[in-house]
Amino acid sequence: MPLVPKEVYEELKDYCSRLAQRGYVTAHGGNASIKAGNLMWITRHASSLEKLRFEDVIQVYLDKPSSFDALSSTETIVHRQIYLETPNLAVLHAHPPNSVALSFFMNEIIPLDTEGYYVLRKIPVVEGSPGSLELAKNVAEALKTHYAVVVRGHGVFSAAKYMDTAYQYLCMVEHSAKIIILTKNLEKAGFKFIQPKKF
Amino acid sequence: MYGWNGKILVVDLSNKTLKTLTINENVLSEYMGGRGFGVKFLWELTNPTIDAYSADNVLVFAVGPLTSTLIPTTGRFTVTAKSPLTGGIFYSSCGGFFGFKLKNSGLDALVIKGRCEKPVYLQIDDETFQLKDATHLWGKTTKETIKILEEDLGKDYSFACIGPAGENLVRFACIRGGDGNFAGRGGLGAVMGSKKLKAIAVKGTRKTKIADEKSLTELMKKIRVRISWNPVLSKALAYYGTSALVNIINEHEILPTKNFQLSRFKDAEKISGEALREKIFVGRKSCYNCPVACKRVVKLENMKVEGPEFETLGSFGSMLMVNSLEAIVEINQLCNELGLDTISTGGTIACAMELSEKNVLDEKIGWGDVEKIKKLIVDIAYRKGLGDKLAEGSKIFSERIGFSDVSMQVKGLELPMYHPDGVLGQALAYTTSNRGGCHLNAYLISVEILGYPYLMDRFSPVNKPNIVAYLQNLAAVMDSMVICKFLGFEFDEETFAKLLVAVTGKPYTQESVVAAGERIWNLERVFNFKAGLKGEEDKLPSRFKVDVKPMLKEYYEVRGWKPDGFPSKNKLKNLGLKVEEDAVGSQGSL
Ligand code: SF4
Repeated sequence: MPLVPKEVYEELKDYCSRLAQRGYVTAHGGNASIKAGNLMWITRHASSLEKLRFEDVIQVYLDKPSSFDALSSTETIVHRQIYLETPNLAVLHAHPPNSVALSFFMNEIIPLDTEGYYVLRKIPVVEGSPGSLELAKNVAEALKTHYAVVVRGHGVFSAAKYMDTAYQYLCMVEHSAKIIILTKNLEKAGFKFIQPKKF
Repeated sequence: MYGWNGKILVVDLSNKTLKTLTINENVLSEYMGGRGFGVKFLWELTNPTIDAYSADNVLVFAVGPLTSTLIPTTGRFTVTAKSPLTGGIFYSSCGGFFGFKLKNSGLDALVIKGRCEKPVYLQIDDETFQLKDATHLWGKTTKETIKILEEDLGKDYSFACIGPAGENLVRFACIRGGDGNFAGRGGLGAVMGSKKLKAIAVKGTRKTKIADEKSLTELMKKIRVRISWNPVLSKALAYYGTSALVNIINEHEILPTKNFQLSRFKDAEKISGEALREKIFVGRKSCYNCPVACKRVVKLENMKVEGPEFETLGSFGSMLMVNSLEAIVEINQLCNELGLDTISTGGTIACAMELSEKNVLDEKIGWGDVEKIKKLIVDIAYRKGLGDKLAEGSKIFSERIGFSDVSMQVKGLELPMYHPDGVLGQALAYTTSNRGGCHLNAYLISVEILGYPYLMDRFSPVNKPNIVAYLQNLAAVMDSMVICKFLGFEFDEETFAKLLVAVTGKPYTQESVVAAGERIWNLERVFNFKAGLKGEEDKLPSRFKVDVKPMLKEYYEVRGWKPDGFPSKNKLKNLGLKVEEDAVGSQGSL
């Protein structure tokens, strides 16, 4: 196998395991990648992010396909497009439940919580079937101007220069989605919504 | 009747009779078609101890209930006979359009018995069947044969034919099923040659009747989406064809090199899918109704042809130390026209090269000598000089000169392009395959290398016997329905049962589908035992370091077989193999 640097594997393993611990991915869902020059190291198709093994990280090219695309995540095409169209160096994709649930009702998610609002401002909701060029283009386009994007009924992509920042964005999207759902439920239960005076 | 036509054509070449028979409903449900029909009919009609070239051998060309429907990859057919290479039962699956047309002619199978004095071909046109003189075709290559038949009969027909290798009874001669499609392995082309049956031409206008069109349409939508999601099907196979495997397999250090003496080829990149795509690729082709379209069209200065597949890139590339893609294309084309299986041809020449290096042979055959390889291929097909000896296959050839350890085969079938030392499950699959050294009876590479449906530890024996048995049963079902094995990268018995219910209206379940595969597998095993391929033949060549014995013992237990490797009475009874149990009993094996 084309040699994957040990530190790349360690970093991917760390953040993949955090996503799994938070319940943002199911047994074999989600994927993550790191870019370096013309290469991308991405998690294997159907690998378990809970317990990423060294052989679960696959090296593929950014500017051309390779036979190793057969081994890499179904969403390799999306990661590749993000790197080609944005200056990001790390991409995460997970299926956090609140964000996915909200995506069925909204075309964009505007966080109610302060942190979410100030950092993310707006999270676009896009469409496209898994692994398709259409999805890749929609996600990459959204990530040109946003830190994260939700794919309707599917999951969240976040991208940044550092893996830790991408992880932070993804967690914030899910946190903001959870706040919205909780708030709507409280409103439904008869509580009155009070807008913070300073936001 | 839905799914099936319920009819077979029985051709007796010895007395030139052709008659149609109705197939029993239970046989349809339990054996489905394709490979299942192959073993069922062979078991009913032949004595497994016969010589593969005797008039008593039976060739079964069969399609399945799913053939010629809107389900992807359903234009295929299988051929089954006793193999002159392994001495056991042997089926081979072939893509293209021949299966589609055979089904549309109103038949589910052709059963060909006996032997002609003079060459003939069989013409099938819906309800009309006739044997025709093929003297003018005898001696022609597969390409010439198809061209002449197309000119004589028209382009509405699909053809299956043999080349000079089949006529000359080369033990690994193949059957060409149209353009770039072959029933490649096991020497079934030589069985056709022994019967003096040069070709079969078929056309038909019927449509397969579907029990539940609405359910099938719904299923089809999901199937197409899932194919498009699957990276192997929609990306690798679509973009590179099977040649995508060259770099992957080499990087895992399991690409057989220099007759399996090595497992990594330093020039793999030069013969890889990437190189093929960049240098000589001009287009894709597909079998009937297949969105994957894994076939490559390549162009050299003087030819535009199909292929080569991964197995051919390995067997004439790394195995023989040839690093020219163009040379492999030419060699592949030569084999295709002469009607030779590329894996066995490459494996047998590799064996000869190693013996030549050891100074065992008078003739010098250097590694990578392309001109020598081409000459040997022609000599094999026409049985000239050393080629005549190699035409027996590497097992017989090497045994005759006292160097059997140089033949890389199991049960006489040359091994495909995955070095077993680095993939324990695949090693067990080779060892136990009813075909011999074959990857298609259980493709463990999918779970041990590619990670479909998930990645298992390739160096660990844990759970491999279970997985091998399961995948063997599933492969038997796929070959009997009849669909392309590549769909196995995404689908399993859950989808297969739904498809069978929608098409046939019969109450298939996941369990009954796997049980059908198990029944077919066990009947093949029984046939092989009776033919002389007993438990002792479940072994790898001594060159390999992998120790399959512990896995083999567990595998027999998983299968419900006795310690000698024969199915237990209980197992046969549970699978409903009652008649077969009696027959086997009469042979004294039970
Ligand atoms: S996947 Fe390839 S071999 Fe299989 S049916 Fe399709 S084109 Fe033919």
